[in-house]
Amino acid sequence: MSTTETPAGLTLRVGEFEGPLDLLLHLCRTSEIDLAALPVRTITDQYLTHLEAMEFRDLDMAGAYLVMAATLIYLKSKLLVPPDETEEQLDPEAEALRQELELRLREYARVKAVGVWLGEREAEQALLWGRPVSELPSADEIPLEDLSVHLLERAIKRLIEEQNRVRPREIAPEPPSILERMTEILSVLRDTWSLLFSSLTGGERRRSEVVVTLLAVLELVKMGRIRAQQTELFGEIVIERQTGETMSNA
Amino acid sequence: MPESSDIVEALLFASDAPLEAERIREVLDLADAGEARTLVDALRERYETAGRALTIVEVGGGFRMVTRPEMAPWLLRLAKTRTKARLSRPALEALAIVAYREPVSRPEVDALRGVNSDAVLDSLLERRLIRIAGRKDAPGRPFLYETTREFLVAFGLRDLGDLPKVEGQLVLPDGAAPETAVVATDGQAQAEQDPGPGGTDVTPGS
Repeated sequence: MSTTETPAGLTLRVGEFEGPLDLLLHLCRTSEIDLAALPVRTITDQYLTHLEAMEFRDLDMAGAYLVMAATLIYLKSKLLVPPDETEEQLDPEAEALRQELELRLREYARVKAVGVWLGEREAEQALLWGRPVSELPSADEIPLEDLSVHLLERAIKRLIEEQNRVRPREIAPEPPSILERMTEILSVLRDTWSLLFSSLTGGERRRSEVVVTLLAVLELVKMGRIRAQQTELFGEIVIERQTGETMSNA
Repeated sequence: MPESSDIVEALLFASDAPLEAERIREVLDLADAGEARTLVDALRERYETAGRALTIVEVGGGFRMVTRPEMAPWLLRLAKTRTKARLSRPALEALAIVAYREPVSRPEVDALRGVNSDAVLDSLLERRLIRIAGRKDAPGRPFLYETTREFLVAFGLRDLGDLPKVEGQLVLPDGAAPETAVVATDGQAQAEQDPGPGGTDVTPGS
C-alpha cells in the first residue's frame, strides 16, 4: 500500500477506505463537518482530490467511487446556479438528493460504529475457549434448522471440484488396428528371425494394445506367416518368421 | 445418584453448542427451565468461589462452559499462535448490517455500505456467521441473509437484543425511536460505540 501526499496536506493511504461512503465520512470527520449541514462544495473538492490520488485494482470499486463523484459534482453544479439568490440553496430535486446522501452517510456511520463494537466483542470472546467439537454420538435426527441452501450449494460445489481434480483429462491413444499391427510384426520380422510378444506391446502394456497385438499374432499364425511359441503358462510368447511348412503353437 | 449441578456440569462439558435451559430441564426431568437456570447459576457460583479455570457464559440462547479470559495467554501458547483469527473491518460492517436488518438482501447490504459486498458476504456464509433465510419477493428474487447461532456465540451475545441500540434504519425490529444522529465528527466517534439517547448526539437540522 503506497502513501500519497495530497494537495490538501492530508496523508492518504490508498485502499484505506472501504468505499465512497467511507471516504466521504472520513472527510467529514477530519474537517469536523456536521453531516446535517453537508457543505457540498468543500466536500466535493476534497473528495475529487482524494479520488485522483487513489489507484484502483478493482473495477467495481472504482465504479462505486465514480458514481459518488458524479453525484457530488451534480450537487455542486446545482449550487453554482442557484434557483434564487440565497447561498447554498438547492432546488427541491437536488435538495432531496443531498438529503438522501446525508441519510446514507449517517446510516453508514452507524454501520461503522456497530462494526467497531462487534470487533471489540469479538476480541473479548477470542479470550474464551469452549469445546469446539463434541464427542457425543450424533443425534438420531439431524436438526433441520441448522441446514441451509448454502450448505447444499457448497457441498455440490466441493463435489464438482473434487471430481474435476481427481480425473485429470487423459487423452487415450487410439489403439492400432489389427491390420496395422500385422504389417508392423511382419516388417520387424524382415530384419530379425524372432521377437518377443512383450516387445510388441510396449512398456505401458495397455489392455487394448495387448488384445490387438495378440489378435494380429493369431491372424498371422493362421495365415502361416509366423510361428508363435509359449513354453509355459503366462510365459513369454516368442514369435518367429515362418519358413517352410506351417507349425504353430499359440 | 450424583448431584444435579454435577450432572449439569457434565452436560455443559460434553456439549459443543450452547445448551438451552429447556434442554437441561428435559434431560434432568426438572419441573421448569427456571430450575435449570438456578442449577447453572449454582455451578457458576461454585466455579467462582473455588477459583476454577472454567466459567459458564450465556450465549446464543444457551449456556456454554468456557475457559476464563485470564487463561488466554497460555491457551494461545498451547495453540502456537498469537491470536485467534479475526474478521476484517468490511466483514464486521456487513455483519452489523445483517444483524440489525435481518432478513436482508445482498443489494440492501451493498446500498448501506456503498460498495459491492459479494466477497464479504460469501466469507461470512463460509464461516457460518450468516445463513440464507430465503428469497426476497423483489426483482431477481435475491437471497435474504440472517445471522446464525454461531454469530451469537462468536460475539458473546445472548440474542440480537444484546446489540447496542442504534437509531435510524439500523433499528432492531421492535425499536422505533425518532431519528437521532449518532456520529458527526471524530470526537464523537467514541460516543457512537454506546449510542444512547441524548449525550453527544446531534439532532439533524431537517
